[in-house]
Amino acid sequence: MPNIVIDDREIEVPAGTKVIDAARQLDIMIPRFCYHVALGSVGACRVCAVKFVEGPFKGVQMSCMIDAKDGMVVSTTDEEAVEFRKYVIECLMLHHPHDCPVCDEGGHCLLQDMTISGGHGIRRYLGSKRTYRDQYLGPLVQHEMNRCIHCYRCSRFYQEFAGYRDLGVMQSANRVFFGRYEDGILESPFTGNLSDICPTGVYTDKPSRFIGRRWDYERSPSLCINCSLGCHTVASARYRQLVRQEARYSEEVNGYFICDRGRYGFFYASHEKRPRRALVEGEEVAYHQAIDTVREKLAQISGSAGPEAIACLSSERSSLETQAMLKRVCQNKNWSGPLFFMEQSLAEKVKTATARLEPGLTVSLRELEQADFILAVGADPINEAPMLALAMRQAQRFGGRVVVIDPRPIFLPFDFQHLPVRLHEVDLYLSLMIKAAVDRETATELGPSAAEFYQTIPTLETAAVPLQEQIATLAQELRGCQRPVIVCGTEVVPQTTPALAADQVLLLKAMDKQTGLFYLMPGANTFGASLLSGDDGSFSTTLESIEKGKIKALIVTERDLFWKYQNKQRLERIIEKLDLLVVLDYVDSETAQKSDVFFPVSSLYEAGGVFINQEGRVQVAPKVYLGGTPIKQNSGGGHPPRVYGVGIPGSEPRPAWQVVVEIGNGELPPDEETAFATTRKWLAEGNPVFANLPPIDQFPDDGVRLGPALDVGSRFSLDWQTERHPKRNSDGLELILVDWTFGTEELSIYSPHLRQVEKEPCLSMHTSDAVRLGLSSGDKVAIRFDGGRVEASLCVAENMASGVIVMPRHRLLEWQKIKELPRIVRFEEIEKVSV
Amino acid sequence: MKSAWEAVAALATGFATTFKHLFRKPITEEYPEYKRPLPERTRAVIILTRDPDGGERCVACYLCSATCPVSCISMQSAEREDGRRYASWFRINFARCIYCGLCEQACPTSAIQLTPYFETCERDILKLVYEKEDLLVDHGGKDNEYNFYKYAGVVTKVGDKGAHIKEAEPVDIKSNLP
Repeated sequence: MPNIVIDDREIEVPAGTKVIDAARQLDIMIPRFCYHVALGSVGACRVCAVKFVEGPFKGVQMSCMIDAKDGMVVSTTDEEAVEFRKYVIECLMLHHPHDCPVCDEGGHCLLQDMTISGGHGIRRYLGSKRTYRDQYLGPLVQHEMNRCIHCYRCSRFYQEFAGYRDLGVMQSANRVFFGRYEDGILESPFTGNLSDICPTGVYTDKPSRFIGRRWDYERSPSLCINCSLGCHTVASARYRQLVRQEARYSEEVNGYFICDRGRYGFFYASHEKRPRRALVEGEEVAYHQAIDTVREKLAQISGSAGPEAIACLSSERSSLETQAMLKRVCQNKNWSGPLFFMEQSLAEKVKTATARLEPGLTVSLRELEQADFILAVGADPINEAPMLALAMRQAQRFGGRVVVIDPRPIFLPFDFQHLPVRLHEVDLYLSLMIKAAVDRETATELGPSAAEFYQTIPTLETAAVPLQEQIATLAQELRGCQRPVIVCGTEVVPQTTPALAADQVLLLKAMDKQTGLFYLMPGANTFGASLLSGDDGSFSTTLESIEKGKIKALIVTERDLFWKYQNKQRLERIIEKLDLLVVLDYVDSETAQKSDVFFPVSSLYEAGGVFINQEGRVQVAPKVYLGGTPIKQNSGGGHPPRVYGVGIPGSEPRPAWQVVVEIGNGELPPDEETAFATTRKWLAEGNPVFANLPPIDQFPDDGVRLGPALDVGSRFSLDWQTERHPKRNSDGLELILVDWTFGTEELSIYSPHLRQVEKEPCLSMHTSDAVRLGLSSGDKVAIRFDGGRVEASLCVAENMASGVIVMPRHRLLEWQKIKELPRIVRFEEIEKVSV
Repeated sequence: MKSAWEAVAALATGFATTFKHLFRKPITEEYPEYKRPLPERTRAVIILTRDPDGGERCVACYLCSATCPVSCISMQSAEREDGRRYASWFRINFARCIYCGLCEQACPTSAIQLTPYFETCERDILKLVYEKEDLLVDHGGKDNEYNFYKYAGVVTKVGDKGAHIKEAEPVDIKSNLP
């Protein structure tokens, strides 16, 4: 551990620490453009020059290029170094295009800050400025190359860090250019980070182009709720409109970056069509009138048919407060529910995952970057949780091996091995690989059940012949690695997989490895939902009860029933049949449109909330702004109206939990702190794990990871004897419904900018199946489902399992005609549509 | 007796001075019958000027509103079809303005300028809230030369890449020839 003196202050840093980082630990901020903690140093900009007074180096040197060594004495304020940095800035400004007033970076521009602090004010250079033609890079990033100072941050992030290749460096010497070979939409789903890391205005945020300056924004830390990872963001609002979201550094979750779905997925909050008034039978009414109506109707139903005739359905995107309040009201009133999942099978898988996340096994997203072997089972990182793919990329960059066992055509921006097996074979192949890597003795050490479990795993010969050798080689690698992590999806996988993944991690752990277990879940607060949901009842039984007339009223909080349910006709019928459908939401969903009573509720940015991500990390999102109709919308685009009132227009929506309490005739807590404190106390009575949560204003930045949240249940319980091995369907393809990065997530589809980067929805099938059907890529095909025909184009892929057909739950596809799941699509049901 | 003479002399001197002033030209200016021409730099009502080519100078960079000590300036920037940035609305609340002139100093395009015109009293205070159409004039104010878009290297109708003052031709990224 070298000792180094910087500006007369001594610090001990780990070997290999750069001087610029050592200074940061002393809170000395050495100027930098090219250096970035996540991207490392290249020594391109020369602005981090400091004077080395004593030690192995002498004179002015770049602090980002030199490791701290014993005996170094460094001065950042030495006259020579200050002078040097001043000239560097002047050189970097030679070609600057003099356009700060019209540049969106102005106000938070690193180059602007450094120019001013370096004292360079008057241009002395008399020559002409170098110019570049800009490129169209898609709807998310604006390109203005004249402002470039050649720090290489963009290409290093885009190529080295994220693994994509379509943006990079061209040309040489003084003409170095950063961009694509030709105009076009950037391929990566991490492009928004370019505007975050660019130290000047070459890449600026296009959706918030010319909206305002950083100093005018109402800015607050927030969370992303567009997938289960819970990445940290900073949200900015202006004139009552949410305008921009950036990545916020998080040590444990997302690091410095976030994906585009999270960054640009916020447009629902200020959407023009966002409902802001309570509705009773489609008529706008005052909030209290709507509450009275609902209470009256519920009392009637409760009186005539009993309180069980009222059911509640919560959601995975609701905050913990809303979920808990709904459960509490249900219990107090003896209503049915609340339900948190549309499918019982998903509920069970998620609950298993929640239970099996034992301390010592759980890894955070950042810890996953350290893994040297990642085995992803039934997970499609880029599509389900893009930041997971970025974390896996880091592991792979530093020598880790990534293996994916999944039937879908998986794409990852780096080299990985894909075992494209069918869904019911996922368990088998996972187990085969682990069995080949773990010794019998190790399994025996874990007890008789583990030994028996190990014993019953079939032998490698059961695997398909072409895969046998691959599995054997990978198992050999797995045996030699130190920090393996199993990533397990919970959506498409069979019922048994989440538990099996945990068992296999235990086996690996017994080999003295630092193992990790990482589950993916379908929604931002699915973990919370799984903790609160009871054992009984899935939404399908509720549907039956409604059809039988046993349930007459349904209260739905922040969920669109139609969004993830495969039988639209049935839902329409049951909504017809219900006496009362109460919907609380902040988007104008189909369910909201069909409701009898609708309550507008505040979004995450107006209400804040507590969310639990997929590793059990409880995180708080504070309020960003007060809410209300954006000035732009109630001024018709021109100047703000000249009427002066006391209230904020369009600020009727209130937090969902408040509405829930009022519907249940409860007493409203005076403020959020008390509300959370009482909720926490009540939650802790039900599950002691909540007792450790701090008060809402004392949450640490990275949240609190819950301990063992549910009873682990029985380990190594998978019975291979009864494990069904469905015969290969010779007359059809197994249908798999999947998520895509863009176009299938409920909230981000409200973003007009993400709609432009969405891919056209297509069905995927393996080449051999396509050949059999006489189809090829690009063909328009129609599938006859029980609810009608669904047309889409076809993508034929080699890198997926045969015998399956993959369909995205895309907003442009009418996949809700499927009706029954699981579904085998028979060959004769697929036909080519001639155009 | 002497003191009586002294008193008379004192009175006479005083009246003589007064009498003399009856024949002098008065120095009082009768406002509003007479309006004194004020120096150009006098700080009163604010205008938004145009560049010599007739374009709106204001690029809605928010510097004036940032520097305004009483926060009386607000605006919204937007983009014209040719890429030019402008204020889609611009509002100054003169009921709050203290005419300090910091906005004029902060303005990088010479758009916002203070003028000598100060007669803005209104009975209805809302009439003192000026919108862009009230502020925008069709001259250059004190600066009739500067056109920001001729210097800034961004593409607008005023100039393509390489066509601004002191700019080289754009780099050809597909050729390695020097």
